Amino acid sequence: MSEPNTALKKPVSVKKVILRLLLYFVVLDVCIITLYPYFAMLCTALKSRAEIFSPNGTVLPITALWSNFIDIWSRAPMARYMLNSVLIAGGSTIIAMLCGIPAAYALARMKFKGQTAFLGVIIVSQMFAPVVLLIGIYKVMLSMGLTDSILGLIFINAAFNQAFTVWLLRGTFMGISAEMEQAATIDGCTRVQSMMKVLLPVAAPGIVTTLIFIFINAWNEYTVALCLISTDGFKPLTVGINTFNGYNIIEWQYLFAASIFAIIPVVILFMCIEKNLVSGLASGGVKG
Amino acid sequence: MATLNLKNIKKVYPHSGDQKKAKKKAGEPEKKVNLQVTDEGVVAVQEFSLDIADKEFIVLVGPSGCGKSTTLRMVAGLEEISGGELYIDGKLMNDVEPKNRDIAMVFQSYALYPHMTVYENMAFPLKLRKTPKDEIDKRVKEAAEILDITQYLDRKPKALSGGQRQRVAIGRAIVREPKVLLMDEPLSNLDAKLRNQMRAEIIKLRQKINTTFIYVTHDQTEAMTLGDRIVIMKDGFIQQIGTPQEVFDHPANLFVAGFIGMPQMNFFNAKLLCEGGRYSVSVGGCTVELSEEKQKNLAAHSAGAQDITLGVRPSHMVLAKEAGNTLAATVEVSEMMGSEVHFHANAEGKDVVVIVPTMNAEGEHIESFRAGDQLNLTFSGNVCHVFDKDGKNLEF
Ligand SMILES: Nc1ncnc2c1ncn2[C@@H]1O[C@H](COP(=O)(O)OP(=O)(O)OP(=O)(O)O)[C@@H](O)[C@H]1O
Ligand SMILES: [Mg+2]
Repeated sequence: MSEPNTALKKPVSVKKVILRLLLYFVVLDVCIITLYPYFAMLCTALKSRAEIFSPNGTVLPITALWSNFIDIWSRAPMARYMLNSVLIAGGSTIIAMLCGIPAAYALARMKFKGQTAFLGVIIVSQMFAPVVLLIGIYKVMLSMGLTDSILGLIFINAAFNQAFTVWLLRGTFMGISAEMEQAATIDGCTRVQSMMKVLLPVAAPGIVTTLIFIFINAWNEYTVALCLISTDGFKPLTVGINTFNGYNIIEWQYLFAASIFAIIPVVILFMCIEKNLVSGLASGGVKG
Repeated sequence: MATLNLKNIKKVYPHSGDQKKAKKKAGEPEKKVNLQVTDEGVVAVQEFSLDIADKEFIVLVGPSGCGKSTTLRMVAGLEEISGGELYIDGKLMNDVEPKNRDIAMVFQSYALYPHMTVYENMAFPLKLRKTPKDEIDKRVKEAAEILDITQYLDRKPKALSGGQRQRVAIGRAIVREPKVLLMDEPLSNLDAKLRNQMRAEIIKLRQKINTTFIYVTHDQTEAMTLGDRIVIMKDGFIQQIGTPQEVFDHPANLFVAGFIGMPQMNFFNAKLLCEGGRYSVSVGGCTVELSEEKQKNLAAHSAGAQDITLGVRPSHMVLAKEAGNTLAATVEVSEMMGSEVHFHANAEGKDVVVIVPTMNAEGEHIESFRAGDQLNLTFSGNVCHVFDKDGKNLEF
C-alpha cells in the first residue's frame, strides 16, 4: 500500500509476470463476454427504429436518441409498472424477513429433534424451478382468490425466497457468538429482547445483504407474474415491458430503454451489498 | 451481598446425534477428560455441593473440561440445572430467569456489544432496569473511574485493546452492583504481564465493591492469590474445597497435590510402616518418622502398613551433608533461577525436582551441583504426604 512497502518487495520473476498477464487476459475476456449484452442493450436503446433495422448498421448508434428514454413513459404505464414492482419486491421482502428471522434464529440457537431433516427439506424446496410449480401455485392462488393481484405475487415471492433467507440468516446468526446474547439476558433482557437489542443489530450487515438479495430476486421474477397477472394495472415491470413487444412489431429501442430502467435499482442495490459485506460491524465484541 | 448454597448440583448434557458422530471421528487417543457417560448423556458436573458466605471470593479451578464453566453457567441461569438445588440468599433459583437472579457475569470472550460504545455497554444493564438517566451516568462514570477506562467511554469495543475490553466487561458487570459476580477465566486472553496487572486490579476491586465472587480459572496462581476458598474440580467432581493454604498444605488426594504448587510435587513409590503404633515412611534408603499431627491423623483412620505414594514438594526436599538415612539421586539438569536453583534429578527411577536456595542466611554461596553429581536427599516428617493406592490422602 505505502511507498516503503513496495520498495521492500522482492524483484518479480518473468514467469510471474507472464502468469499475471495471462490472468488479466482471462479476466478481461470474461468481463467482455458478460458486459457486452448490457453494452448492446444501451446502444440499441439509443438508436432509432429505422437504424436498428438498417442493413448496414453499426453497434454504436450514429446519433444517440436520448428521447427514447422519455418516450417510453408515455407509450406505456411505466410508472405504474415500476410502482407495482416496488410493492411486490418490497412486500415480499418484508414478509420473507418477518418469517425468516425467527426461523433462522431457532435453527441457529436452539436444539430440537429433526433439525437436520428440517434444514434438508428447506433446501429441497429450493430445488424446483418456479415453472414446475406453476400449476400448483395457480390452483392455490385461485382458491384464495389471489390470481390476478399484487398481494398474491407478494406471497409467492416471499415463499420462493424463504429457504434462501433462512439459510443465509442462519449462517449469519451462527457466526455471531451466542455469549453476547447470554450476556444480554444476564444484564436484564428477555430472550426476545436479547435478540432485538443485541443479535439483530450485530447481524445487521448479514440482514441487509439478505434483504437486498430477496428484493432483487422478487424484482426480477417474471414467470409467475406473467401467468397470474392479466390486468395491465397489476403488472410488474418485468411483465409490463412486454408492452413494447407487440403482436405486430417489436419496438426494440423502447424495450431496451425500459429494461435499462428496470436494472438500475438492481445495480444500485448490489453496490450497497458490496459495501455492507466489507464493513466489519460484527468484529470487536468478542476476543480478537 | 449474598449467600449461595449449591446442593448436590448435577449437569447432564443429553446425547445428540451429531455428538456421537463427532466422537467416532475424533477417536479415542484424545481422552484427557473422563466424564461419566450415562444413558441420559454426558455428566459434566455432579455431586457439587458448596455453601458460599456473603462477600466470599470462591475460585473454581481445574484442568480443561472438568466442568468449571458449566457450574458457573448453571449459577448464572444460562444452563439448565439437571439435578440438585441452587439457592441465592435462601431463595430457590433453579427455574429463575438469568435476568431475575441479580447476578452479573464476565465472559472469557468479553462478550461486549460491538454496536454500542463503551459507555452504552456499561449503561445497558442499568437502562434495562429503568434506572434514571443521571443515576446511570453517575454509576457508569464511577465504574469507569475504578477501572481506569474513563477516556475510552466514547469508543466502540473494536477500538480497544484486549486489556481495555476486559475492563469494560468487568465494568458492565459491576455498575449494577449485583448480588453475585461471576467471572469465567476473565484473564486468560491477556498476555502474562497484563494478566498479573489485572489480577492485582481484581484484588483491589474486591475491596471496593461488596459482592460475592465466583471466579473460574485453570491457572493455579490466580486461584491461590485471589480465592478465599478454592474449589478444585476434576472430571465433573469436586476434589477438594479449602483455603489456598489448606489445599497447599493438606491436599486431599494425588490430583490436588499434583495440581496445586509449582513446580509440581515430587511423588515416590514408598512404604508406610507402622511399628509400635508409630508411623514412618520408607523410600529408597531413607526412613522418616511422621510428625505428631500426621501420626494422630493416620491413627484416627487406623491406617495399616501398606504400599503408598509419597509426596514431597520440591522446596521441602533437603540436601543432607552425607549419605546415611538418605535418598540417593543423580542430577540431570540444573536450572539457575537467581535466588534459587532447581535441580532435576533421578531418584528411585522417578524424576525429582529439588529447590535449593543459592545462598544461606549468612550470604555464603551454597555448593552447586552439575549433571551427573550425586545428591543425598531427605525430608522432614511434617511436610510429606501419604497417599494410598487410589490416590487418597490417608490423613483424610
Ligand atoms: N453443550 C454441550 N454438550 C455436550 N457436552 C458439553 C457441552 N458443553 C460442555 N460440554 C462438556 O462438558 C464438560 C465440561 O465443560 P466446561 O465448559 O464446563 O469445562 P471447563 O472446565 O470450563 O473447561 P475449560 O477450562 O476448557 O473452559 C466438557 O468436557 C465438555 O466436553
Ligand atoms: Mg470454561
